[in-house]
Amino acid sequence: MNKRIALWALALSLLGAALAQAQDAKKETPAVIRIGVATGGVGNPIRHGGTSTALAYADKAIEEEFRKDGTKVEWIFFKGAGPAVNEALVNKQLDLAWQGDLPSIVHRAAGVKTKIIAGSGVRNGLYLGVPADSDIRRIEDLRGKKVSVFKGTNLHLAAVRALADHGLKEKDVKLINLDPAASAAALVSKDIDASFDYVGLFNLRDKGLAKIIWSAHEDNYKYTRQTVLLTTDEFAAKHPKAVERVVKVVVKYAHKYSDENRRAELFEAWGKAEYPEKIWREDFIGQPLRVRLSPLLDPFLVARYKDAANEAYDLKLTRAKPEIDSWFDRSYLNAALKELKLEGYWPAYAANGQQVGR
Amino acid sequence: MFHLNLKSLRGFVLPAASLLLWWLAVELKWSTSPILVSPVAVWNRAVAQVVSGDLWTALSASLWRDAQGFVIGTLAGLLFGSLLGTSRWFEKLLGPSFHTLKQISLFAWIPLLSVWFGLGDSAKIAFIAMAAFFPVVLNTFEGFRSVPRELIEVARVFAFSPLQLWRRVVLPAAAPSIFTGIHLSLIYTWLATLGAEYLLVSGKGIGNTLIDGREHFWMDLVLFGVLVIGAVGYALNHALSLIEKRLLAWRQKTIAQY
Amino acid sequence: MPAVLNLVLSATMTVDLPATAVTESVRPQVPARRRAWLQGLRNWAAGWLLAWVVPLLLLGLWALSSHHEWIALQVLPSPLQVWTTLVDLGRSGELWDNLQISAVRVLYGFGIGASVGLALGVGLGLSRSFNAYVFPLFKAISQVPVIGWLPLLMLLVGIDEALKFLLIAKAALVPVAVNTCQGIQGVANAHVEVAKVFRFTRWQLLSKVVFPAATAQIWNGLRYGFTHAWLALVVVELLASSEGIGFMIVYGRQLFQLDIVLAAVVVVGVLGYLIDKLLGAAESHLLRWRKPGL
Repeated sequence: MNKRIALWALALSLLGAALAQAQDAKKETPAVIRIGVATGGVGNPIRHGGTSTALAYADKAIEEEFRKDGTKVEWIFFKGAGPAVNEALVNKQLDLAWQGDLPSIVHRAAGVKTKIIAGSGVRNGLYLGVPADSDIRRIEDLRGKKVSVFKGTNLHLAAVRALADHGLKEKDVKLINLDPAASAAALVSKDIDASFDYVGLFNLRDKGLAKIIWSAHEDNYKYTRQTVLLTTDEFAAKHPKAVERVVKVVVKYAHKYSDENRRAELFEAWGKAEYPEKIWREDFIGQPLRVRLSPLLDPFLVARYKDAANEAYDLKLTRAKPEIDSWFDRSYLNAALKELKLEGYWPAYAANGQQVGR
Repeated sequence: MFHLNLKSLRGFVLPAASLLLWWLAVELKWSTSPILVSPVAVWNRAVAQVVSGDLWTALSASLWRDAQGFVIGTLAGLLFGSLLGTSRWFEKLLGPSFHTLKQISLFAWIPLLSVWFGLGDSAKIAFIAMAAFFPVVLNTFEGFRSVPRELIEVARVFAFSPLQLWRRVVLPAAAPSIFTGIHLSLIYTWLATLGAEYLLVSGKGIGNTLIDGREHFWMDLVLFGVLVIGAVGYALNHALSLIEKRLLAWRQKTIAQY
Repeated sequence: MPAVLNLVLSATMTVDLPATAVTESVRPQVPARRRAWLQGLRNWAAGWLLAWVVPLLLLGLWALSSHHEWIALQVLPSPLQVWTTLVDLGRSGELWDNLQISAVRVLYGFGIGASVGLALGVGLGLSRSFNAYVFPLFKAISQVPVIGWLPLLMLLVGIDEALKFLLIAKAALVPVAVNTCQGIQGVANAHVEVAKVFRFTRWQLLSKVVFPAATAQIWNGLRYGFTHAWLALVVVELLASSEGIGFMIVYGRQLFQLDIVLAAVVVVGVLGYLIDKLLGAAESHLLRWRKPGL
């Protein structure tokens, strides 16, 4: 009698397991999507701005997109920026990542398998700030001085490029690793002589505590930084449809705010995040929104990444030169553009920065 | 009666004096640095933090991590330390390796743990457990090793069985050292908890509160955080001291009359 | 049950019995001194060999794991890779420069912290009134671990060398002071009473009874102080530095080059080991009168 019950129990449980498996196989949407963001954001709950992805985050658009599938979307912010995202990627704790060029190249060189699926935050600026009463006027004056930069992030590479082009090797300058907050504090208390950073420097300048003596936008597009949305190979293989839907949401937001008429609205939206709106506005002076918010993976972006890989290798920031072309996976972007009928909306640029014909 | 009360207040003299000095410094503007905040501001901040519940969230997160790491590390440490202290073979085989590993400054492990464990609390708990492990092993080892030979010989004379030897001679002789080890482990784990929160920055905790304060130049928040950390450290220490006093009451603990 | 326990305990505990009659009968010709020396050499060699068993085993495991990639190479680089990196860093001089800077920092900081700690500990241990006034405040300050002071000090003195010295000094101070105080206070009453019976002067009491009895604890405190100082050094270099061993670790971490991190960790360990061995040798010299029981 007992044996029979046991046998039935076994059979039923096996059947149940088989059914569950079948269900799983049919499931196309994942139970949870983990998106890593290579910055700390501010506040609690975290506010973040500056890119199309950030806009999607603020509006909870991705959550909305997946609501009917019951998929949870987890946004994980990393104060340690790109390098910290790499650590999570290596431990397979992320499905998607928003990350800058240098840390992405670093993880690709280390063998982590990802795909670049959309641009989000291209041609971001880099600025050199010094204390308000400093007598440093040009990059060349930085020789032997203490300069802070967040190492391992795309700020690092852009800064080292700028230094190299102005005749300074990383060793000629005392490059201290500080995150943006510590950097600002150190600049104010004059513990460092200069700082390579992003729009946070405007904040200090407006308070009269620092001045900005160099800008990547004004010097050369070579010194701008790129940030993209990536997905892990595994996640893309398991849930290609989900990846496409995420890209679609990001592209939608990029499209909405590429409209010049919405310029004020854009900065107002970002102004609710890490910095007030006038600060974001300044980084975009003279640049059409359609260029900065473009999600296209055009030859320009590919060339920037190739350059970055080469220079990172030359500057001994990486030990291998990863192959770049196959890293970009345009299938999701193209599908999204097709679905939203936005092909040709954004201008594509060639490697030399010139616009390509339609 | 009155005499006794006055004496016990001696401990408050220095802190009270410093507080007064601090308050005066702010009132009389001895320094114009924006970093100098008055004690009142710190108090206000403290009240705000308690009322908003922020303090509780941060503190409970930190303490929970601390507890987990402490328990794991201390238990492992007691086991390892006893083996090290009592078995010659064990000491010969693993002693040198342990002593070498012990030399690797604790925080040097953080980047490795960060990569090996990635996101989440596991890296922090592993780190805290390591912080607990080393002092416990060291002191347990020391405790067992410093059991005076004379006592063992006397026990042998009395033909104690190994169990009796253990219970009546070795453990009581080693106990003070073992407790020192656990005490140190408590201190180190609190230290490690904070350090982990600084360097493995994810999640909530009292360490993150301090970082926020520093980022925004909010000296009052930083000072408040420091006070909370000190208070917790003190509470933990005090609790352990009470337990230690109870369990080691038999020992002739003296403050020698110099 | 107790019988089994007895067996287990007796198997793990050993007591040194003097080697007497046995060796005499085996080698009647070899002079006693040479025999003792040989025996000592054999013991030392055996100890040395045994010490290497576990490390070599682990090294083998590590090499095997990276060869078969049981763990991703980004997470655990092969031992060969770490060795090559170490050699490269040594050859390029980068290692020595950073090491020197770190060593100077820690020595200065430890020197300051230990001296103040010793003075404080002696005062707290010997004088009841000093203890009553100062101990509560000292205890309160020591409740906040070194790390807790870091943001405060960063705000007050910035991120320059001053921060490092202060933090390292504070880190060394507390264990040294506490252990010194406890060592002095922990001198058994019985010893002090005997000294009183012999009518020792205060100085004799201190130098012949209190300090020798407290030496073990004080030295322990110094060793802990150094460990703590080294710890503080690494933390502060991890958080705010452009040079030093901690900086190398951060650099490796930020650029995902774990072999640099591991190489630096090895160096940190070796250095700490050497210095601790030095302190240990000094300790055994000072405590040579003590006999271990087990």
